[in-house]
Amino acid sequence: MAEGREIRVNVPLLARVEGEGALEFTVRDGEIRDMKLRIFEPPRMFEKLLEGRPFHEVPDIVARICGICPVAYQMSAVQALEAAFGVEVNDWILAMRRAMYCGEWIQSHALHVHLLAAPDFLGVNSVIEMAKNHGTEVRRGLALQALGNELIRLFGGRSVHPVGAKVGGFHRAPDREMVKRLADRLRAALPDAEALVKWIASITPRGKEQAYPLVSLRHADEYPMYRGRIVSSDSLDISREQYDEHFRETQVPHSTALHCLLHGQPYLVGPLARLALNRDCLPQPVRDALDSAGVRMPVRDSFLGATARAAEIYFAMLEALRILDNYELPAAADVPLTPRAGVGIGATEAPRGLLWHRYETDAEGRILAARIVPPTSQNQARIEDDLRLSLQDYGLDRSDDELRQMGEMVIRNYDPCISCATHFLDLRVDRG
Amino acid sequence: MSRVAVLGLGSPFGDDRAGWEVAQGLGRIPWAEHGSDSVVTVDCLDRPGTGLLERFRNADYVILIDAMRSGAPAGTLRRMDPDEMLADADSPSSHGFGLEQTVALGRALGELPSNLLLFGIEADAFDGPRISPALEAAMPGLVERIAGHVRDLLRGGLSANAHGV
Repeated sequence: MAEGREIRVNVPLLARVEGEGALEFTVRDGEIRDMKLRIFEPPRMFEKLLEGRPFHEVPDIVARICGICPVAYQMSAVQALEAAFGVEVNDWILAMRRAMYCGEWIQSHALHVHLLAAPDFLGVNSVIEMAKNHGTEVRRGLALQALGNELIRLFGGRSVHPVGAKVGGFHRAPDREMVKRLADRLRAALPDAEALVKWIASITPRGKEQAYPLVSLRHADEYPMYRGRIVSSDSLDISREQYDEHFRETQVPHSTALHCLLHGQPYLVGPLARLALNRDCLPQPVRDALDSAGVRMPVRDSFLGATARAAEIYFAMLEALRILDNYELPAAADVPLTPRAGVGIGATEAPRGLLWHRYETDAEGRILAARIVPPTSQNQARIEDDLRLSLQDYGLDRSDDELRQMGEMVIRNYDPCISCATHFLDLRVDRG
Repeated sequence: MSRVAVLGLGSPFGDDRAGWEVAQGLGRIPWAEHGSDSVVTVDCLDRPGTGLLERFRNADYVILIDAMRSGAPAGTLRRMDPDEMLADADSPSSHGFGLEQTVALGRALGELPSNLLLFGIEADAFDGPRISPALEAAMPGLVERIAGHVRDLLRGGLSANAHGV
């Protein structure tokens, strides 16, 4: 019995999580106390770094915040800066941004599903161990990831820290032959994406449903990615400019990442939240795949997040295909713009969830102030809640080792990007 | 015909460019004039992660060149066997899938080329947009030594019977 037993679990370095984080909690009298997901990755100061920079450097700088979701950072940034300058981009640019974003969803989700979720669900140490008995699935996953990278490269020139996106559009339009070749490859891989949804759902351990608000973008015409209003499962429905009226970032002593709360409460962003709030916007084949995998909405069983990712891979491939099949070479890949003093806000759906940017510019378009709220800092309080509830359900009379493993699995399920989440908090320079 | 893929691995930061620079040096050698029908291709890859495995396909020989840190003097060249690098390959994150992990994964999937050579070049500093002076000075020698290995390989591959190897 856990009654009266005092357990201290301390995982000083989280395995297979990006960045420097640790997990600490104490069990006393059968209850978890002091649950702390400690993040001690040094603050990265990107927001300060942007101050004084000309606007056109922003997309390339923010792309370096994360090696996995550089496109998301670029998309929220260009959207915000175009809003600050009062620039409207055309439909071609909107469509191509969406197609490029699809590439990032595909590659990032494929990595999460195959490197983190599947090995955890199958009880093996890593994808390398998994490859021994599930070679076909690993190969399929790597091929899907590669397709996502190809899609980013089509627009960005390269897949790591791509350089194609700019404020006002793209530096160049891809030629039709390349677009067609990639569309054919995407088409050929559709059955793989469909099969992935069923496979990952079939190996997912089902946990208990937990109650918490879900937050994502929502757009009347499409599954949310690049545009839309911010909505929640508790009927919040606001523009991206109203974010600060409802969401608050706070500093907690045990973490260099800020915790973000909605009306004072933890909430979830990311694939599971998007799917639950926007299932009706998915194309029929994706809905069918989810149905036949036995996934009913709304889902609040966190481990089904991996299935949500697989469903979004399938969706992103269909969506990219739809856009590429209608591809026309434009007269220009960007729209002209004149910088001005202003404030602009951008909100897009990064693979891990809502990514919110705010920039203030001067008359020449130099950055006066920048703020970036990444998905991981929004999910952090939810991850701590999930840990508390999941471990309680799992049984606190388990061995320390079992509790540690379960805790790590719960965290990895979110694939928190700690490097993204660490902010510049407070810097005082005494120059004597 | 044998196909040799030379892959320089790295990033734009300081001596992490070493793999690229050596690969580019190898790319300037007119391999076709060596009187062989072998095809030597040279590519520079920026942190390819698991994408590296794709590059292994359709190659008879793969030569990987990457910067390393082992405590040796900057510019030291070390030839490694794939087995040597598999010791610490067990815990990849979605963001950090390094060369060791990729080679281990390739092996588990049975997708390693039968001839895989890895050359590590000891780096000095990983900051700034340029390679360090120490490595810059060592560059021609490094290119020449790895080119020597490629020549041996081509000779061995092409005239294995004649030499009874």
